[in-house]
Amino acid sequence: MTILHSRQKLTLANELIYELKVKDAMTREVIYFSEDATFREIQMAMKNNRISGVPILDEKRNVIGMVSIDNVITALDHDYVNEKVREYMTRDVITIPQNFSLVSAIKKFEKYKFGRLPVTENSHSKRIVGILTMGDILNLLLLSIQTIAEKVEEKEDRNSQISEQLIEKTQEKPLRFEVKKADFDNAGRVASIIRTYLQRLNIDQKTTRRVAIVCYEAEMNISIHSLGGYISVTLEQNNIIITAVDYGPGIPDIDEAMKPGFTTASEQIRALGFGAGMGLPNIKKCADQLELESSMETGTILKAVIRIGG
Amino acid sequence: MKIKEIVDILDAEVLIGEDLLDQEIEQFAASDLLSDVLALTKDNFLLLTGLTSQQVVRTAEIAGGVGVVFVRGKAPEQEAIGLARSHHIPLLMTSKSMFDSCQAIVEAMINKEKK
Repeated sequence: MTILHSRQKLTLANELIYELKVKDAMTREVIYFSEDATFREIQMAMKNNRISGVPILDEKRNVIGMVSIDNVITALDHDYVNEKVREYMTRDVITIPQNFSLVSAIKKFEKYKFGRLPVTENSHSKRIVGILTMGDILNLLLLSIQTIAEKVEEKEDRNSQISEQLIEKTQEKPLRFEVKKADFDNAGRVASIIRTYLQRLNIDQKTTRRVAIVCYEAEMNISIHSLGGYISVTLEQNNIIITAVDYGPGIPDIDEAMKPGFTTASEQIRALGFGAGMGLPNIKKCADQLELESSMETGTILKAVIRIGG
Repeated sequence: MKIKEIVDILDAEVLIGEDLLDQEIEQFAASDLLSDVLALTKDNFLLLTGLTSQQVVRTAEIAGGVGVVFVRGKAPEQEAIGLARSHHIPLLMTSKSMFDSCQAIVEAMINKEKK
């Protein structure tokens, strides 16, 4: 599973590198000079702005040269630091068009070993629109990866809003949630919603925990073993009733399925930390009363009753 | 024992929840089987695991865990980090193996009792 994951991560980075464009990553405020500037002026600007290279532009903002920190050091060595850069600057400037992908930018950085690339309007123009460093690329990549985590966070926040809305509704109506086949990423969603819901209703911590665990295991069972189904939760005066229904294919031998350690789950499920044959035994342990009916034609119905405060 | 003591004991990196490390740990769980974690009887446990999926954080949330330690330097999935942030569950990562982590914690507990 580790190998699988590192591959997935790599694909993600690759996808992002192709998807993101130079213009998304570049810095738009460019510090630049004309060819009449002296090395001394440029040296001061580099120091003040903590940069290691500046583009030299003509009056139309076309890139005509580059002065790097190396050029400045050479100028100091050879005593022409107070002269204009015109005669000495690098005129073979490697630039990159703003609509190119970050892959081309990274390739150019590797090939030419430059610290920064001036970004041009398009491939036929030398007009500067920004400047790009490896740091800029790294920043954007990290930001993009972060948004993946934030999406999950938003989804969770929506879930807790659902719980709040539920409290508004009457308690007599059962809460019903669909659970999809093989949807492991969302498994636990129902348990999480119910948990928040019961907490808001001031149901004690132990009961809440037991209900949440039953829901979670039942959800996992539906998504691992069945074609899909739903979970409904009803509140009676002293009891919370969780019903998990799936649309098949059914449990051939219920007694065997109840045995701790008995499992039919795949390697993939085990890699997630489930499928150890503890689901039903766990549900049984948490519930005050458990009914399990299964038919090879219609599917499985699990009903767990938990006494509040019991 | 508090989570911040564990950070020290395991030379762990705090991935999420720098501000949540004052919570008291009542029980430790070291497992790669999440159903086993769900079978724990107490709340406020710290989970040490070699798994990296978001289900780890979900399990801690559902069963009332105070935090998760990822052993052997394995980083959790981004989705796990998102879940942990929204449920305020601190995540630690240590380069120690599961066995060495457990041993270090037990030794620290014994030393604490002696004092």
